[in-house]
Amino acid sequence: MTPPSWNVIGKPIPQVGSRQKVTGEALYTDDLRIPGTLVGKILRSPHASARIVRLDVSAALALPGVHAIVTGKDAPRPFGVLPISKDEPSMGIDRVRYVGEPVAGIAADDEWIAMEAMKLIHVEYLPTKPIDDAKQALAEVANAADKIHPGTKFGNNLHKMVEQHFGDLPKAFSESFHVAKGHFEYAGISHTFTEPMSAVAHFDRDGRLHIWSATQVPHYLHRAMSEVLGLPMSRIRVIRPNVGGGFGGKSDPFPHEMIASLLTMRCRRPVRITFDREEVFISHHGRHPSEIDVAVGCDKNGRLTGLDIDALIDGGAYGSFGVVTSYYNGVLAQGPYRIDNFKYRGRRAYTNKPMSGAMRGHGAVNTRYALELLFDECAEKVGIDPAEMRIQNALPAYTTTINDFRITSNGVVECIEKVRDASGWKDKRGKLPFGHGIGLACSFYISGSALPIHRTRTPQSTVHIKIDMDGGVTVHSMAAEIGQGSDTVLAQCVAEILGLDVSWIRVKTEDSDLAPIDLGSYSSRVTFMMGNAAIKAAENIREQLRKAACRMAGGEPTDWVFRDAKVINTVDPSKSMTYMEALDEALADNGALIASGWYQSPKLGGAYKGAGAGLSPTYSFGAYITELHVDTETGFVHLDKIWAAHDCGRALNPLAVKSQIIGCVHMGLGQVLMEQWDFNHRSKGNIRNPSLLDYPMLTAKEMPPVDVFIVESDDKEGPFGAKEAGEGPLLPILPSVGNAIYDAIGVRMRELPITPASILRALEAKKKGKS
Amino acid sequence: MILPPFTLHEPKTVDEAVALKTKFGKDADFVAGGTDLLCNYKYEINAKPHVISLGTVTELKSFDTTRIGAGALLDDVMTDSGMRRDLPVIPAAIGVISSHLLRQTGTVGGNLMVDTRCFWFNQSKFWRDSISGCLKSEGDACRVVWGAKECVAVYSGDLAPVLITLGASVTIAGPKGRRVVPLGEFYEHDGIKRHVLGEGELLVEIRIPTEARTWKASYRKLRTRESFDFPVLGVAVAAKVDGDLLLDAHVNLGAVHTTPLSRDGAISQFIGKRIDEATASEIGEAVADGLVIHNNTAMTPAYRRKMVAVFTKRCFLDVTGKRAVAETASR
Ligand SMILES: Cc1cc2nc3c(=O)[nH]c(=O)nc-3n(C[C@H](O)[C@H](O)[C@H](O)COP(=O)(O)OP(=O)(O)OC[C@H]3O[C@@H](n4cnc5c(N)ncnc54)[C@H](O)[C@@H]3O)c2cc1C
Repeated sequence: MTPPSWNVIGKPIPQVGSRQKVTGEALYTDDLRIPGTLVGKILRSPHASARIVRLDVSAALALPGVHAIVTGKDAPRPFGVLPISKDEPSMGIDRVRYVGEPVAGIAADDEWIAMEAMKLIHVEYLPTKPIDDAKQALAEVANAADKIHPGTKFGNNLHKMVEQHFGDLPKAFSESFHVAKGHFEYAGISHTFTEPMSAVAHFDRDGRLHIWSATQVPHYLHRAMSEVLGLPMSRIRVIRPNVGGGFGGKSDPFPHEMIASLLTMRCRRPVRITFDREEVFISHHGRHPSEIDVAVGCDKNGRLTGLDIDALIDGGAYGSFGVVTSYYNGVLAQGPYRIDNFKYRGRRAYTNKPMSGAMRGHGAVNTRYALELLFDECAEKVGIDPAEMRIQNALPAYTTTINDFRITSNGVVECIEKVRDASGWKDKRGKLPFGHGIGLACSFYISGSALPIHRTRTPQSTVHIKIDMDGGVTVHSMAAEIGQGSDTVLAQCVAEILGLDVSWIRVKTEDSDLAPIDLGSYSSRVTFMMGNAAIKAAENIREQLRKAACRMAGGEPTDWVFRDAKVINTVDPSKSMTYMEALDEALADNGALIASGWYQSPKLGGAYKGAGAGLSPTYSFGAYITELHVDTETGFVHLDKIWAAHDCGRALNPLAVKSQIIGCVHMGLGQVLMEQWDFNHRSKGNIRNPSLLDYPMLTAKEMPPVDVFIVESDDKEGPFGAKEAGEGPLLPILPSVGNAIYDAIGVRMRELPITPASILRALEAKKKGKS
Repeated sequence: MILPPFTLHEPKTVDEAVALKTKFGKDADFVAGGTDLLCNYKYEINAKPHVISLGTVTELKSFDTTRIGAGALLDDVMTDSGMRRDLPVIPAAIGVISSHLLRQTGTVGGNLMVDTRCFWFNQSKFWRDSISGCLKSEGDACRVVWGAKECVAVYSGDLAPVLITLGASVTIAGPKGRRVVPLGEFYEHDGIKRHVLGEGELLVEIRIPTEARTWKASYRKLRTRESFDFPVLGVAVAAKVDGDLLLDAHVNLGAVHTTPLSRDGAISQFIGKRIDEATASEIGEAVADGLVIHNNTAMTPAYRRKMVAVFTKRCFLDVTGKRAVAETASR
């Protein structure tokens, strides 16, 4: 099918606002300077687990220059992004559950006074024995009060357990030609976005609370603040300035946002809290440290027969997005292959560590790694090319999975073919000299969670458009631009429908007083949902302009097309007029033109428990190939080249899609080769590497060249056919490296990150196994 | 994190600098580029009320291939054509120190004097307090070796091992005048004591014997990433060779001990031998043999010990022309 000829859609354009960002003109939260702003600092627990016996702030409060101090008792109501696990207090009340948990907040004239004041706050702790990891959390606890969260229904420190069965797995496995099994372990990792968290709160004299915060979820922040602070939402205004990256690390309401608010409500002066990098590592809600057992069966022709997943994930001290993660570790393995017998158990444990939560590729990344490595083992046993076997097993377009996911557009086979042919796969796989290897893996990811987090009939995304006599199009939406480019998508969608170029569009997505609700930048939902809402709003405006054109020049509304800032009559071109002329007429009996458009997911899914998890109006697909070589003396993996194909339905902005894919490759390579929060039993609950020096993410020097292939499967429900490109592209990079390492040196690495030392250990074990 | 307040002094001459340091004693630190010292200050690590800048002391800045002023910028030395011609191992080693930006601020003297490092020490005040500090900070117990009375923080500079194998010495200025100390004798055990500088003393220059130009030298560095990261092992080898015949050699290891560690004693048996892959491996094993490496930086001691053997082997192959000398000194 040849795509329609669009003017704006499908053109590679730099992001709206990007010139301001690269020149330093753009302002971020910490750049805000409201006169009279105080510096807020958070006193944090030095213990992983302790009772607070006494907390005395009087000496600190007496220090000149200190304006307010708040503690847990000032806001006892716990919160959390998910209504089902609101378990986190703004500050520890009678106990603390991880090193770094807030205990008090201070507002002072400057940072030095605040730090001096911190030393004057007297806290007496009674340390208790911490739970260090998820396995320890499984031990029964005799006395419920000794659990990290006494109120849970389990007799140990489990937070959540989910189980699902489809088909008949024992039978499928018993009849399988081969069942590949493995125990996989994954270190926790961090998003390492550029901008540390920052919030400025101001309670004005009229009793309204304004908060500027580096957040991905202004709407959830809005709700949580209302609950914790006891103010109606209408008296709270949330502003999201430019955000320097999030990747899921800014997708919860956070204690510091509550603390800044409590402080300003106490002293009525604006309060700014900006984290240092260590505080970011303490507060980030990164990817769960996980242990996952996976078994994949296949028949003698290489058809997958069944899949068994058992995941135990370390949630840290509080819930965050953990219930969702508990599901995603299993259910998002339902594609891109057809698997009719499926069993899943997911368990999330509370431990005395900073909490884990959502991170790019949420819940799907670790299981994907295991599944794709075991898939290759099956291919080897059957004696079939792993690329062919993947094509054979691919879900078709427009089908339903065993767990009732509705699959629509699906370009996975095209993705596989693209990277297979471009990389020279057939001449390389199994044929490169020892130490050199090539590996393939696929992906499957949601394009927007179909279920909103809160039970509400409010649409998931609403967009408002306003046009006045200057012709500029003001577009309002609360969709959070966090550097991923959602403002540009918004501008493009509206510009395309109205036949304007992007410079006519003024995107306003910062301010909850002005912009209608969008649920936020998570679950790869924004392009799909906000894009559809924007199209609807713009179409509504276009109707008004069409009617005006008819009034001016006659003809039918359907006669008009909008292009190059002109309203063109396709029947009688002499009737055509400029956009400004049509607008002038349209304004005549209207005042300004205004319109609203919205998106709500269709009803989807089955009726079983947990059926909502993983439902999405559409799914993205992809396939990557990595070529690398291993220095077998040092164990270092050197990346030679990546071929990355991703089905995003339609690339509304190919430049942005390409950047997302390369960014995903960079992030995934970090997890597979070097990143980890290093916890050491002797560091007493401290992350041992809470800095960008000691927590290694790839630098430009380690980045291999990436050839990007955008596959456009034209999704019928997507805006102009689009679906997500922000998270799914992360998934295949990790297992493509794992599979390439196997091709290079014959070992399947089951622990991430794959360090040089672990490569040498694996090589030695292989040698011993053979001799 | 913000810098603790201090008074900055800006002497113009070495004598003024020495006088200031003598006056303030333990209440003052010298600062050159500040890329090491000021990071530690932000962590509130042993911060002093007085800081004496060497950036204004012009005498320290000049350099040629026989002497490098302590205040010479890493980047200037690295890009100098004379250095590249006569002593290419020095620009190669500088090329793997930290990052491009830091090399334009950091100095050679500051690099030799870079503080020892340890996971339990290079942390924020909040972090250190939560483990009650360590020997080198506010505490009274070592977190690495239980019951240790000496600090095992690791010497993590890249240049010192190279300069030691080239036979360099340093000129020290102090209240009693100037003295010259072989760089190989400059460092002293214990991650707190570190070196022989006495009260009021500073580094003036590094002298490199002209004979060093006739030696072949190689430096290889182990670290997770190819930029930015401190070494978790550095192997420096300088050798007098005739083809693959080893006439004399020095080996020095960085980042495995509290000081740069000479392993000349371990290789004496190989002097006079021809170097091929097998002998180079033997030298590597000999150099690694018996090393005690502590678990207080990135990468495990067992792995780093293995890499001592591998990297030493590679360095010996480099200097005997069996392997092209790496353009950059990585791995
Ligand atoms: C992110 C990062 C990565 C780094 N990576 C590396 C690396 O890979 N390899 C490496 O070797 N270093 C590394 N460093 C450390 C540092 O950048 C270099 O060692 C640099 O050469 C230090 O020089 P400087 O002039 O900035 O020293 P300063 O910070 O100014 O001083 C360091 C110490 O030397 C003392 N000092 C300086 N000059 C004199 C003198 N003339 N006489 C007596 N004492 C003196 C100071 O008092 C201080 O104690 C890194 C630093 C950072 C922040």
